[in-house]
This record gives sequence, structure tokens and C-alpha cells, in this order.
Amino acid sequence: MTALIRSELLKIRTTRGWYAYLIVVVLLTGLAVAVEIGSTADGERGGLDFQVGLVDTAGFAALLAIILGITIVTTEFRHGTVTPTFLAAPHRERVIAAKAIAGVLVAVLLALLAFAVVAAVALPWLTLVDADLQLGEGEVGKRAAQVLLSAILWAFMGVAIGTLVQSQVAALVGTLIWIFLGETLLIGLFGLLDIDGLASYLPFQALDGADGSSGGDLLSYWPAVGVSLGWVALLGGLGTERTRRRDIT
Amino acid sequence: MIEVANLSKRFGKTQAVANLSFRVEAGTITGFLGPNGAGKSTTLRSVLGLVHPDAGSTTVLGVPYRELERPLHRVGAVLEASEVHPGRSGRNHLRVLAAAAGIPRSRVEEVLALVELSSGAKRRVKGYSLGMRQRLGLAAALLGDPEVLVLDEPANGLDPAGIRWLRDLLRSLAAEGRTVLVSSHVLAEVAQTADRVVIIHRGSLVQQAAISDVLAGAKGATRVRTPGAERLRELLVAERVTVSEGAGGALLVDVHPERVGELAAANGIVLHELTVDSATLEEVFLELTGGETTE
Repeated sequence: MTALIRSELLKIRTTRGWYAYLIVVVLLTGLAVAVEIGSTADGERGGLDFQVGLVDTAGFAALLAIILGITIVTTEFRHGTVTPTFLAAPHRERVIAAKAIAGVLVAVLLALLAFAVVAAVALPWLTLVDADLQLGEGEVGKRAAQVLLSAILWAFMGVAIGTLVQSQVAALVGTLIWIFLGETLLIGLFGLLDIDGLASYLPFQALDGADGSSGGDLLSYWPAVGVSLGWVALLGGLGTERTRRRDIT
Repeated sequence: MIEVANLSKRFGKTQAVANLSFRVEAGTITGFLGPNGAGKSTTLRSVLGLVHPDAGSTTVLGVPYRELERPLHRVGAVLEASEVHPGRSGRNHLRVLAAAAGIPRSRVEEVLALVELSSGAKRRVKGYSLGMRQRLGLAAALLGDPEVLVLDEPANGLDPAGIRWLRDLLRSLAAEGRTVLVSSHVLAEVAQTADRVVIIHRGSLVQQAAISDVLAGAKGATRVRTPGAERLRELLVAERVTVSEGAGGALLVDVHPERVGELAAANGIVLHELTVDSATLEEVFLELTGGETTE
């Protein structure tokens, strides 16, 4: 299993797309944290809620993690590399497990990189404007842990979607449409049918609840994590079965 | 060594393979022949555990491929040359596979040298010629130093020098005691390297025999040029062998080249040419596969 995980990590590192993930996470996080600080009045910059919110900007790692998760599965079908991959490891479920673990490891790396960017921008800036730093407060560390776990969940979700859909374009575009349109429409529909309570159980509503930042109609933190894992298990299970049965031609 | 038993596979409306059975013996080069669309790739992919048969079974080294421990160390396969990420370098493609199979990186350099791809190994596969991709595929197959090799149309896209190089490589691999199953839609391509042939058409077995037996069945497959044409013709006719005139004053004979050579030597006849006529070979092949061309 370690051999397969090493192989998957090497696959990720040996294409140019790898650098795009690193660059995008640095740029997006850097921009978001700068806008956040820049648009806040001096007096509020020392507040705990504000500084916890700065940690949230590292959440871009989750978005990149799901794209990475989808890509590391579907790229094999797109380029036909699934053939040599399955020749080397004919037990396909082990390949999927290795991809999930590799995806999670990279998601953790992306989240840590995002934290580093937040720290690199926020610490000097806040120090410069003489704002109190709330690093000693458990809240900041707790939110960072939640953002990290969120990135892991999104990476898992990406691998699950990839194994289920297998077409790269359909999986990436379909997921984005589902996130930004599909669930919104379903929430509206649930409202009409008077079953609004179900909305928070939708996959990306659950994942939203599991990033720790949002309140509103979302599930509270641990139930949201549980429901998210449930969706990952369901979609990943179906996807693994589909991959096992598929003829590689 | 490789055994296919009553294999059947249907894709939608197409019966790709229909109740196909054959065996590949250890230590031989077996040509797996059939026109395009005959079911060769489906059969090979079934053997390698990539395609799930509707019926029947396949084994390699006595077990289904999926049950092999460390499969890359037992069986090497070259399927389509395009199954490489275009953005990855040839060397990294091999390193990825080596990592998955627990093969050391030094072996990657060895196989790159073996297929004469070391100088292009740093480049991304996107810029490779078809010939380079075929070499990379062969390198991948040889990574685990396997005792069985399965190659699907490895000569496709190779120039004449590449085909010759491939033929020599297959011969040296077989000389090391490896078992080779190599598919082709051109009989002449494997006639010079294979010991045995399995010929299929429309997913079913047409013939499974030693290559010499297939050639023996060929009308006029042996081409002879000799200053003693008259004398040789008489001798052959006396042995009830059919002889006809070929181009350039050559004789086309219905027996093995070996038999003609023996007869000529025994009677002191000088030969200028003694070959298996590849054009005739293709006719035999077309006859066996129903005379159809699929291209």
C-alpha cells in the first residue's frame, strides 16, 4: 500500500498541474487575507472574531483539494494511464484507496501552505498597525484545525466523485454546477415542499457546515462532519464498485 | 503459461470474442494474428485482468492475472502506445510505475538504455514520436524483468529500422527463456520471429499451430532463384511438389524452404535466393481469415 501511495504522490508531482495548485492556493489566499485586513477598520483588527475569520481564508485549500481529488482519478481515464496503473496493481480498490490517501496528504500540504500565507501576510501587517494578536486564544488554533479537516473532507469528496463520474470534464464541470446551482435549486425545491430541514443534509451543505465558519441553516459542526463522511462513503463506495466492474479497453 | 479457455466477451452489439480457447507454451514466441477487429486486444486485455469476460477464463502462469503476487515482476505488457500522460517525461512515467511495483529507480535507467530511449527520457511524452512511445511502452513492460511478455501490435508506428530493432529485441528476450505473446494483423511481421501462431477471426480460433505448419500450407510460399532452375523443378515435381513461375525467373514452391534447401544441397544445385514470400504469406493469412480485409 505504501508503494501505491508513493506512486500516486509521484504522479501528482510529475505533471505541470502540480505547480498550478501551489501557485493558485498562494495567490488566492494571499489576496483574500489582504482584502480582509485592508477592508477592516483599524480598531477592529485586534478582535478575536476578525482574526479567526482570517484563518478562514485558508479555506481555498479545500476548493483546490476537491479539484485535485477529482483530477487524480479522472486523469487516468482521460489519458489511458489507468491501463498501466491497473496492470501494476490489479486490485483496483487499492489504487482508489492509495489515491484517496495521496489526495488527503496533498490537501493537508495545501492547507498548511495556505496557513503559511495567512501568517506571512497577517502577522507583519497586524504587528505594523499595533493590533493585538489573539494567537494565544484557543479559537484561532481550533479554527485552523477545522479548516485542515475541511480540506481533507473535500479531497475525499473529490476522489469519490472522480471514481463515480470518471469523465474529467463532466466531473469537474458537473461538480461546480452542482455546488453553485444544483444545491441552490434543491434548497428552493425543499422549501416549496416544506421539507427545508433536509437541505442541510445535501453533500455540499454538509461540507459547508463542516468548515466550522458558517452558521445559518447548516448542521452544527460534528453532525456536519458525520454527514459529509457519509456522502463520501456512499459516493466513494458506488464509484469503487463502478471502477472495479469497468472494462479497461 | 498463458491459457485462454472458452473466452467470450460482448461489447454492446459486437461479439468481440466468441468461445475462444488457446494455450501459449513456456519459452516460445507465439504470434497472435487476426485482422483488425478480430478480438485480439479484447483477448489480451482479458488475459491481463483489464476486461471482465462474459464467460470463460484466462490464466497467466497458472492463475488469473489479478491473483499474481507482484504482477509486473511476472508479466510485462505493451498495449496501446498512447497510454501515457502527455505532460510527464518518459523517465517519470517509468518511475511512477516502478514506485507502484516496488522496483528501484536504477532499474528505470536500465530499461531506458535497453530500449535506447535514455537520451529522450527527460522530455515530456507529448513530444515523442510514435516509435519513441512504443519504446517507452516496451521499457515499461520490461521494468519488472518479467518471464512473460504480452505485446499488442508493438510494430505499429515503427519505421523499418524500428521493426528490425523490435524483432531482434524479441528474439533476444525469447533466447533468455521468456515467453512472448505478440499480436499483429500482418502475418509476415511475426513469421520471422514466432515459433507458433494463434490465428483468430471474428473472435473465434481459426488455427493454432507451429509457424512452419502454417507456412507449409501456403501455396507457392517458398521462393527460389537458382541457375539450376530446370533441374530443381524436375526434382521437386518428382516429389509431387507443385512448382510455378514467379517474377524474375524465380520458382514458387509449395513446400518449406528447408525441404527445398535440402534437395538442392543433395543434388549440388546452387541457390541464389531461398525465401518465404511475404506477399504469398499474406494471401494465406487472408484465406484463413475468410479473405476479408477490414481496413
